[in-house]
Amino acid sequence: MIKGKKMDEILRFERVWYRYEEGRMALTDFSVTVRAGERIAVLGENGAGKSTFFLLANGVLRPEKGTVLWNGVPIGRDVKSLNALRKGVGLVFQDPDVQILAGTVAEEISFGPVNLGLSLAQVSRRVEAALDTFALQPYRDRAPQSLSGGEKKRVTLADAAAMDPQLLLLDEPAASLDPVHARQLEEYLALLSRRGLALMVATHDVDFAWRWADRVLVFHNGTLAADGGPTQIFEQEELLRRCGLEQPVLIRIARILGLKRAPRTVEELEQEWRV
Amino acid sequence: MLTALLAAVAVWSLLVGAFPAPVPVVTGGLLAVVLALHRHEHGAVLHMDHLARNSHWSKVNPMLKTMSCLLLLCLCLMARTVWPPLSLAIVLAVLSRAGGVRFRTYQALLAAPAAFLSVSALALVWTYSASDSGWISIRFGTGYLVIGAAAQATARLVTARALGAVSCLYFLSLSTPLPEVLEVLRRLHAPAVVVDLALLIYRYIFLLLATCETMRDAAASRLGFGGLRRSVRTTGIIYGNLLARSFRRAQACFDAMESRCCTGSIRFWTRPKPVRPMHAAVLCLLVGGMVAALVCGG
Repeated sequence: MIKGKKMDEILRFERVWYRYEEGRMALTDFSVTVRAGERIAVLGENGAGKSTFFLLANGVLRPEKGTVLWNGVPIGRDVKSLNALRKGVGLVFQDPDVQILAGTVAEEISFGPVNLGLSLAQVSRRVEAALDTFALQPYRDRAPQSLSGGEKKRVTLADAAAMDPQLLLLDEPAASLDPVHARQLEEYLALLSRRGLALMVATHDVDFAWRWADRVLVFHNGTLAADGGPTQIFEQEELLRRCGLEQPVLIRIARILGLKRAPRTVEELEQEWRV
Repeated sequence: MLTALLAAVAVWSLLVGAFPAPVPVVTGGLLAVVLALHRHEHGAVLHMDHLARNSHWSKVNPMLKTMSCLLLLCLCLMARTVWPPLSLAIVLAVLSRAGGVRFRTYQALLAAPAAFLSVSALALVWTYSASDSGWISIRFGTGYLVIGAAAQATARLVTARALGAVSCLYFLSLSTPLPEVLEVLRRLHAPAVVVDLALLIYRYIFLLLATCETMRDAAASRLGFGGLRRSVRTTGIIYGNLLARSFRRAQACFDAMESRCCTGSIRFWTRPKPVRPMHAAVLCLLVGGMVAALVCGG
């Protein structure tokens, strides 16, 4: 059954409700549509519903009410249809230790492709490709417990990418990364984006959202408080205050300097300032 | 220190009477000194995993290694004299050294099973008897604690077999990371649930150890280990928290597995390690040598 499918729509939440085990509402009457190739920053305070949204989008949790549609097809509760969703939507958990399972990096990356039921040759091709993409070849036989935080994060990215998803969800990927690894992470995100993957990143870093995203979702108390382009979202100071967010530094600097257009990066600021 | 003492007494008990007077004392004394010099190290699990991953033998096909070690272990248990298992133990220690495990590390790792071996040897060699026959007898209550020739010979054989068997398992665990051994078990049609569980436990040992260490450091930084009573209390709280945390983490880990389309069994793709003629030759020589020793030596 395909209803109301737009050309490039991949994921759609239709009036989804979800309640935590203890009875508290996590998501209330939540609707959103994700299109192919989008770069979406998901903002909101702790407990606003971002992680629940990701787990629902990946089929780990099932909605209490409402429908999740993948490529226009509603996802049921059966394993086959849930696996279709999990195949298309990759999820990178905030804590790499929760995700990493195998004894070596190469084996770890193979876990998803093996679960997809691919042939050994295909699995090995995907593992090698992911090892190359994320510069993990030198670590392929290392044990996960001997890796640093940044390296573990790269392994979890490779994990999800090896499943060849259309949409990748990253839950606070830069949390507890040092500046070098955080910058490296952004480079990998840019690479995945160039390959046509839709990316959705839950983050508290408004400066990152401003420089990277082409769309921003703001969560507040389990509802979608705002959905729009970064300029549109970050100009609404009242909204930001209500949702416990701040304006990105570059927007504030642009205002102080009286620039017409707020720059997205420091390099852009430098150029505008010189002009 | 206790292990060193136990081992010295055990060796002396195993040899006394059967050999000229200075031999038991000197052998026991030497063993005590060697064991006391290099004390048993903590964090042995982490250590063994690290050694296995860095061993030169880790490149050898795991199926070949596992089968050879199991075969050697069986041959060891069939030995009728002490020499074949003892020689095997020495050869395997040397092979482990060739794989990159230093003797003192090997010996430190061997301290734990050595304690068990010593206790069993003592229990086997000393018997309670009404008369004071045998090599050594000590009056105890109405009878005597005795070392008899027959009991001593049996104890020597059992201890030698056990030492040989432990060496086989040590050679395997010091040259093969556990996930590879589990993969071999899976190929040998061990129940999937057992192998999956062992794999999860293996992964969780490291995570829980790290969590426990962080909590212990956090407690220590707030003087949680000042005095015996407080230490006991803090340790209790830490273990309680560890249990709660492992439950939460298990759920998160399960979610992460589900998110990657896992439907029950945990499978990975491993890069094949082909059987190389050189490796096969060395292990065949080892097994052949052991068979020859058993046939010739009894």
